[in-house]
Amino acid sequence: MATNAPEQTLFVRKASGLVKGWSSGDGFRYSFFSVNLFLAIWSFAYATFIPGGSLFWSIVITAVFIVLEIIVYAGLISAMPRAGGDYVWMTRIFNSPIGFVLAAVGWWFILWLWTPIYADMGVQTTVKPIFRILGLNGAADWLGTRTGIFVASLVVIAIASTLVAVGMKSYAKFQKWAMWIGLAGVIVCGVLLLVTSGSSFKEKFNAAAEKYYGGDKGMLNLQKYQTDESGLFVYDDAGALVPVEGETYSGAFQATEAIGAGTGMPTSTFAGGFSWATWTLIPFMLFWMAWPNWGATLYGEVRGAKDFRKNIYMMLGGLLVPTAISLAFLGLMTWKVGYQAFMGTMAAFWWGISPIGGDYISPTAMISWIVPNAAFQVILVGAISLLLFGWFGTLFLSSTRMIFASAFDRILPEAAARVTSGGVPVVALVLMTIPSIIMAALYAYTPIDADSGVTVVKLFTYDATLAIIIMFLGSALAFMVMRWRAKAIWDSSSLPKSGIAGIPWMSIIAAVYSAFLVFNLYLFIKDAIYGVNNSKSAIFMAVLYVAALVIWLIAWVTRKRQGMALETVAKEIPVE
Amino acid sequence: MSVRLFFATDVHGSEACWRKFINSGKHYEADVLILGGDMTGKAVVPIMDNGGGTYTFHMQDVRHDIDGADALAVQQRAIRDHGYYPVVMTPEERNEYTSDPDKLDELFHAQMRRTVEEWVAWADERLAGGDMRCIVCPGNDDRPDIDELLASSSQIELGEGNVIDLPEGYQLASSGWTNLTPWDTPREEEEPLLKARIEGIVAQATVSPERLVFGLHCPPYDTQLDVAPKIDWESLTVQGQDVAHVGSTAVKEVIEQVQPILSLHGHIHESRAAVRIGRTLAINPGSSYVEGTLSGCIIELDGKKKLKRYRLTMG
Repeated sequence: MATNAPEQTLFVRKASGLVKGWSSGDGFRYSFFSVNLFLAIWSFAYATFIPGGSLFWSIVITAVFIVLEIIVYAGLISAMPRAGGDYVWMTRIFNSPIGFVLAAVGWWFILWLWTPIYADMGVQTTVKPIFRILGLNGAADWLGTRTGIFVASLVVIAIASTLVAVGMKSYAKFQKWAMWIGLAGVIVCGVLLLVTSGSSFKEKFNAAAEKYYGGDKGMLNLQKYQTDESGLFVYDDAGALVPVEGETYSGAFQATEAIGAGTGMPTSTFAGGFSWATWTLIPFMLFWMAWPNWGATLYGEVRGAKDFRKNIYMMLGGLLVPTAISLAFLGLMTWKVGYQAFMGTMAAFWWGISPIGGDYISPTAMISWIVPNAAFQVILVGAISLLLFGWFGTLFLSSTRMIFASAFDRILPEAAARVTSGGVPVVALVLMTIPSIIMAALYAYTPIDADSGVTVVKLFTYDATLAIIIMFLGSALAFMVMRWRAKAIWDSSSLPKSGIAGIPWMSIIAAVYSAFLVFNLYLFIKDAIYGVNNSKSAIFMAVLYVAALVIWLIAWVTRKRQGMALETVAKEIPVE
Repeated sequence: MSVRLFFATDVHGSEACWRKFINSGKHYEADVLILGGDMTGKAVVPIMDNGGGTYTFHMQDVRHDIDGADALAVQQRAIRDHGYYPVVMTPEERNEYTSDPDKLDELFHAQMRRTVEEWVAWADERLAGGDMRCIVCPGNDDRPDIDELLASSSQIELGEGNVIDLPEGYQLASSGWTNLTPWDTPREEEEPLLKARIEGIVAQATVSPERLVFGLHCPPYDTQLDVAPKIDWESLTVQGQDVAHVGSTAVKEVIEQVQPILSLHGHIHESRAAVRIGRTLAINPGSSYVEGTLSGCIIELDGKKKLKRYRLTMG
């Protein structure tokens, strides 16, 4: 009986065909860690600055727009799957100076500032709570000092450098294990919250607060503060809360709950709906949600990176999984203790009135307190912290690829791309670590800003997002015009070419995403609440961009003297 | 006088990359163009003739329906730019190629020869009358009969097995042979044989090492030029996340012994890098042929004893 041959759509001969180092699974995990759960919960606190906005809806709206980001980046990766990412795309589609300046600031310089931010968050969310559980209060207090933050930054630099030094393959393995152990911890937290009643949670919270901060430790602050008739805190002329003399809350949880109410947090995470206040929360949500494409500089090293859909799945998973877990966590906390009280745990720290010795009320720690066993608590907080530590390598890894790519293009000296026989990008690491140490010192030791109560450089925290968003905008615009400015690459790509009125859907999506980024930049510049529309921040950002431009100009002059036209490196050779 | 070389490799059937290579001399103001091997493509895209001037084919899992000869020509060119061979056929012919490996092999052979002939003709026309040199050496994926097609060119000089004089008293010693691969390709052999082959070619050179350039398709073993994912030789699948050095010990040894001023390599597309092996600068510019981008390297020799500078390019 005759059989029909399968319908071959491609005949492949035997020829050498080597593939790339990272699998799609590795790419997904890198995205998952970059949209980091710790960063997510940390960012929830920003909702306390805009209590009229809906945290829930701001996350949902942001997620929708970040899907556009994913399509744009999946397209760029698919069309040009090269190590160097944004740098390569912008230099090829626009030109060398635009690509270098935006990418150098976005993937290189600003990552120095992320170093103390990672450290600060690691200390507050994980290390200090563990030290409190272990009774190491002296060490915990010291970590809150300027020197403590600086030393913690050095530790972050050491961890990030080590994770880069072990190479992509080993780092991917570490991330795999870190993700599964961390997620196991998250599941335990979820189960604990599910099986614990709200009243029991409050009792356990109060008991743990008393055990770790109360008694002779003297760190529990249950002071009651005056409120007006609508329940909001009353402030004195100096802007401080007004204590109610001789009155205290019955426990740490009640104090936290009162802080939520007193700072004006609503009782529902949906309150505010799609109001303007909700939209103004979006720049804060970008702080954790904008990064599923954090591996953009690396995805040239992912197997099958030319597959547009695979790239989308990889990053979409990296966005949706942590977003879903974050929303589930928000839902569980709201169910068990109420949204207002949950936001009170955030406001307590940021408003400097935390009842537990001024500490950040770490979500993982307070859930671990449900089980009154110190060993269990340390193990649970430690397990979940792997989601944080697995993320630390992303601090420098993506940057090294941008440095490599610009060294290959001869903007940076040849040595910048040097790797040891063991594959350690030693010069690129030096270009990250030394400035990071300096930035960490500035973050810790610069004078305290009178208005915000934090150091001048810590005030620039949101510049860390702003600089990257500007770079993303450059790449989005590059993708928007790729059809016309890099026609050969566009034509040979597997991107969907259909469109409307001669404009590809890909360009339209890039335009909408660009508009979204411009909207956020407008808010950053317009509103003081994000901490970047001030002269100090403007000078800081200007220094970064001017420094990048100066590097490019020096390279251009130097290479010209050597007989090399730097701009031709990125220029496409005519086909015909 | 200094000499400027432009080196690219592994275009694997991409017509866009071949044309860019031929045009790159003017673009980068090079004196000599060198292509380091693997000219021929790896895949045939069957374009189904549906009758009535309509056609259907699949590219990267996307179905394309074509109506008319003009649209067909545009799509065929796009496929060729991608490095694949477009072949119009009936469903019956497709089934024959699917079930008969020998017939499919003949098809590939014919496509490769025809394409190289067309490329050579295009290069001869484009380079005629100029003083730019163009040297092409096949690679391990190229069948032996490609050499005669290249040798028939009026403008292209065949690199394989030869030592060719370059301007300013430099010489280029070339070979597209590699150590063994899992794919049993046309130009591969055991390391001792490869070493003897390369030594035999280098022995033809009459200049000192600082005037000698190697053009060896296979990169030297245990360098940044030869890192690739580890592959199971039976199933040809990737082994987890492991990577391995897959270059040639023979190539490494000859470089260490001879110490030419420059050694140009390809073969491992992902290992775009430049390293020093003693006094030799060894370069693998990598390959991005699928996207129609020509990865390359410009190298400037000072005409005396030094390599003045080099620059990796993406054009």
